[in-house]
Amino acid sequence: MSTAVAVLVFPGTNSEDETLRAVHAVGLGGELVHWSQPERLARFDAFILPGGFAYEDRIRAGAVAAHDALMDPVIEAAQAGKYVLGICNGAQMLAEAGLVPGTGSVRRPTAAFAPNASGRFQSVHVHVKLAVEPSRIPVLAGIDPGAVIPAWASHGDGRLAAPPEELERIERDGHLAFVYCDRHGNPVAPPNGSALNCAGLVNADGNVLAIMPHPERDAWTYQHLDATRDAVRGNTEEMLAPSGGIVFFEAFARAVQAEAIA
Amino acid sequence: MTRTFAVTLTIPDNEAFTALETLARLGVSVARVVRSDIWQFVVADETGDLTATISSIETIHNPNKHRLLERDSDRPAAGEVWIASRDEARVTLVGGRSIPGIRGVRRRTAWRLLDESGRDVAPADLERAVETFLCNPAFQVAIL
Repeated sequence: MSTAVAVLVFPGTNSEDETLRAVHAVGLGGELVHWSQPERLARFDAFILPGGFAYEDRIRAGAVAAHDALMDPVIEAAQAGKYVLGICNGAQMLAEAGLVPGTGSVRRPTAAFAPNASGRFQSVHVHVKLAVEPSRIPVLAGIDPGAVIPAWASHGDGRLAAPPEELERIERDGHLAFVYCDRHGNPVAPPNGSALNCAGLVNADGNVLAIMPHPERDAWTYQHLDATRDAVRGNTEEMLAPSGGIVFFEAFARAVQAEAIA
Repeated sequence: MTRTFAVTLTIPDNEAFTALETLARLGVSVARVVRSDIWQFVVADETGDLTATISSIETIHNPNKHRLLERDSDRPAAGEVWIASRDEARVTLVGGRSIPGIRGVRRRTAWRLLDESGRDVAPADLERAVETFLCNPAFQVAIL
């Protein structure tokens, strides 16, 4: 039986299908689990909280979902060492749930993906790269330390915000997982004013990762904005081949499968 | 000088209802939640009829669904908490337009929690609601 990944769906989630598609593309078994089905989560090996606007982002982005019953088993699983990914709105939920950076108590957030500095929703193509050694984030097992991952930053609340002492802790203790860069890996200013140029946070054990941009929206060749797409134009098979952001999910699959074997 | 306005929905407030549901799940004793947008305008001496100006800006006030009231105080009323961003930028535009005489605009969210009899909940319950849900201290501040 293949390893099972639960892709959580809250009212207002909108990226579950492309996330599940990426999960399947890297050889993992995966299913959507809706907010009314928390009892189903016990049998899953890993969890992904996809993007969207759970509960319309009422009160704060990710705040209501972080307190939803569907998150109870996810929090338990994270504390037991299972792998949890949050993408965009899912990343906001993990921050609101206190799972990343994970320096405080559960559901007592110490950091947030707060409203963009521009005060507006932004959708821009970006690249991100690791800010820590790959060994620091087992949830992305064996990811190339020099990997530059293309993705879409598509959010109104993607700016890492925290008190100065917490930002210092995030940087010092290796919670800063991903930063924004150009296609060559050179640092660039974040599109949202994010502190530390943060695109992603990881917890202390490296099993919970929150990333704001969407790698699943640039995970097939036809989705790329660069010459790699133009080079295969007319070749349907290559156009539909996984590439780019799929490396993020390939690394996640290695982690989940290795854990299942162990 | 600061002038403070509260804008409250006159139609059902889904956000307040969601807050009520979540607070109930967290064990906070509350029967009804009332939410308002608080707009504070730092004004020069002469601003004309500010109330009329504000009420005509639909990003603040839509007469079909909002009630606009000017507050006497620039602080929360008794039983109320305001949630503000810690690092709010200095803003002078509202809905993309400038208002003559306006030197700054601040926006807060006001929350009021009521019990079954329509009275404010105990201060301890309001504080618990703030600490567990209404305010993320990483980037927000609660003004009581």
